Amino acid sequence: MTDALLDVRDLTKHYGGVSASDDVTFSVADGEIFGVIGPNGAGKTTLFNLITGFEKPDRGTIVFGGRDITGLRPDQRNRAGIARTFQIVKPFPRMTVEENVITGALSRTKGVAEARERAGHCIELVGLVEKRHALGRELSTGQRKRLEMARAMATQPKLLLLDEVTGGVDQPSIPGLIDLVRRLRDDGVSLLVIEHNMRVIMELADRVMFLNLGRKLAEGRPSEVSRHPDVIRLYLGSGHA
Amino acid sequence: MSAVSNRRVEGVPLPLVLVGIAALIAFPLIFTSPTPQHILILTLLFGAMGTAWNILGGYAGQISIGHGVYFGIGAYTVGFFYANFLVSPWLTWPLALILSVAAAIVIGLPTFRLRGHYFILASVFIVDAIFIIVSNWEAVGAAIGIEYPIYREGDLAGSLWALQYHDSKLPYYYSALGLFVASVFVSWRIQFMPLSYYLRAIREDQEAAQSLGIDVTRYKLVALIISALITTLCGIFYAQYVLYIEPAATISIIISLEIAFIAILGGIGTLWGPVLGAFIIVPLTEILRQKFSGAIAPGFGSGDASLLLQLEYLLEGGGGNLDILAYGLIVMLIARFQPNGVLGFLRRLD
Ligand SMILES: Nc1ncnc2c1ncn2[C@@H]1O[C@H](COP(=O)(O)OP(=O)(O)O)[C@@H](O)[C@H]1O
Ligand SMILES: [Mg+2]
Repeated sequence: MTDALLDVRDLTKHYGGVSASDDVTFSVADGEIFGVIGPNGAGKTTLFNLITGFEKPDRGTIVFGGRDITGLRPDQRNRAGIARTFQIVKPFPRMTVEENVITGALSRTKGVAEARERAGHCIELVGLVEKRHALGRELSTGQRKRLEMARAMATQPKLLLLDEVTGGVDQPSIPGLIDLVRRLRDDGVSLLVIEHNMRVIMELADRVMFLNLGRKLAEGRPSEVSRHPDVIRLYLGSGHA
Repeated sequence: MSAVSNRRVEGVPLPLVLVGIAALIAFPLIFTSPTPQHILILTLLFGAMGTAWNILGGYAGQISIGHGVYFGIGAYTVGFFYANFLVSPWLTWPLALILSVAAAIVIGLPTFRLRGHYFILASVFIVDAIFIIVSNWEAVGAAIGIEYPIYREGDLAGSLWALQYHDSKLPYYYSALGLFVASVFVSWRIQFMPLSYYLRAIREDQEAAQSLGIDVTRYKLVALIISALITTLCGIFYAQYVLYIEPAATISIIISLEIAFIAILGGIGTLWGPVLGAFIIVPLTEILRQKFSGAIAPGFGSGDASLLLQLEYLLEGGGGNLDILAYGLIVMLIARFQPNGVLGFLRRLD
């Protein structure tokens, strides 16, 4: 446990009466793809916001690479090696794809020229080369998700958090996105992946955690978790499989 | 030669830029009467400030209607020490810049937490509050302001030391041109620096910017400080030029609005937009002012320049002058309906 890349303990967050995260404890190992599933409102995005520093927990600790990062700002956590995408994508609309990704690359590089080079690799990795000079706002939803991944990868993270990669994306684009996530891992990045689509997560994740109403109800290999009675009752039973 | 003729500076061919600079250098030698020279001096001054404002307002998207504070710090610092102790502006300009940075930090740190309209409102209320304080502060002349002792010796060395010239506007003209070129150069240069990516990212989406490791407060502050320093230099120039400082013409909302208005009208977030804006607005308002006195005039805000007092007059049904409200309304309408300004409009025709 102590040599985990990410170690989350007793993470708790309430919004008024709603408990969006309730004593959540888990860890992600180096090189792992860790899936987070659960119905709408389960607290998946909240968990991401807590880990990336966009929300402050009421209680609990987040240790990353052996260092307690619970008190750090989002930008400091990025420089520590955590990058993310957003469920509702946030490309820079009036900047080109290349400029978007250069902005990410500047997190690690000194000059714009070097950042442009690094950005080129990331744009290639996500398959947006021919859209390089398009503006962020001119992209389709799938392309925006790819852009966010390229931009996040450009910051050279050790851990990448992907919030609903296939959400809002047309069916034919999904296999390409799954393939992309695997390639990111092959690039040496560990992944924490929120995914609505059960088939996608079964195919992708090494381990899965199931959340409901902010609580962790199950954790394990995808095949085990999908057989868990709570998961079947709350999730698979309701037509998501 | 083709290496020069093919290059463009933000869409404008380099030869045209060079011709423009040459024309500005030649202008006062061709138009030797004081009025056109005066109009162009003000145009260059406000062009420099609109450009500086645009670094914060355009590149970083933080719309400040409070740059009169930094303009006033420049004017009042050199003015106060010269009027009271005959200390040369050469000795006090560093102090003005230090005060400017200090003010930028004190104002920026708390207000940069505010988003959108709240940031704009905060900037308005801060400049208005400082306006009211200075208007009631006897040591700096209160509402009447500071009248400069005129340096009357005819010798060049003395004139340079006092930074006052009474025989010719040329030294003022070329100082204003220097400020203008320097401001445009800084604004142009930033576009090739990591800073410009940070600022645009902050403007486009603050959370996404943070997620990419950008310390948003820090870079907003960097943008504000660069912007404030140039504006303060312009305030110093202004004081030396008019030799009379009053709150309404320096720390007022109307001056703050005008600085923003120039950039917004011309084309926010672009290099040439504020330049274009200044060359449209300043000559226009200056000519109008000379034809019909009392109209909005750069650097010569008429009547009571406090927004709060204006609103009070308005509510009491009195006849306070409504420059400020009209200006504010125009700024909001452009921001709403023509966000790319005149430059964006021209580009669409292109
Ligand atoms: N900023 C917020 N303010 C108030 N309630 C919130 C906020 N963010 C999330 N919530 C609530 O917390 C719960 C978990 O939301 P979320 O983390 O977005 O779920 P998921 O991503 O799993 O769909 C929901 O009930 C949601 O309404
Ligand atoms: Mg969510």
